[in-house]
Amino acid sequence: MNAMSRLTARIDDNVRELVFDALLSTGVAPSRAEVAAQASLPESQIAGSFERLEEGHVFVLQPQSRELLMANPFSARPTPFRVSAGAKAWWGNCIWDALGIIAMTGKDGDLQTSCPDCGEGFTLQVRDGKLLAAETIAHFTVPAAHWWDDIVFT
Amino acid sequence: MLLFRSEEHASNWSAVWNQPFGSLLSLEQVWGLAQAWYGEDRRRPEWRRKTLDEAREIFAGLGLTSSFWKL
Repeated sequence: MNAMSRLTARIDDNVRELVFDALLSTGVAPSRAEVAAQASLPESQIAGSFERLEEGHVFVLQPQSRELLMANPFSARPTPFRVSAGAKAWWGNCIWDALGIIAMTGKDGDLQTSCPDCGEGFTLQVRDGKLLAAETIAHFTVPAAHWWDDIVFT
Repeated sequence: MLLFRSEEHASNWSAVWNQPFGSLLSLEQVWGLAQAWYGEDRRRPEWRRKTLDEAREIFAGLGLTSSFWKL
């Protein structure tokens, strides 16, 4: 790895840390400008880092603004998967990611979603690291090898 | 990756929206995936995405061995 690659890798690690820290602590995805201010770097450098982190399947960016859409397991935009733990709340991208948010916090948490077929609502609860039983089943539409063909639809 | 009341509801939804019927997972399997995939702190500088072999090992450990889960 040459000096330039080492520098961009360090920037990308720093950006990843700042984004996940903001999401975990506030539930809100930071903008490029906010990350730039925190990292004391020009916004253009953060834009480049966002693109590299998307290429590396760490972030997914909005198609036009190139701001964050996903930093898996978090969604920057509202979804049908609402997660809460303590006084904090987040949006998950899917059932896997929503439960992943609770796993990432390491805390007790609740997940609210509903059956896409009939609209019946569910609240799943994780307590002491265990997911409490519920009469539901998960369905994955897209085979694993094709998830990143279009990660917004899986 | 959605949560349904039952297999019948997942099947109805797939038919109505003209989507392929994919793979059904129990809640325990999804929670296992969530813990294995996201249990690490992604803020740490040394964090890296799972390798293909690591992903295959996680799927196999949860009994996800059909062609749907092949990477």
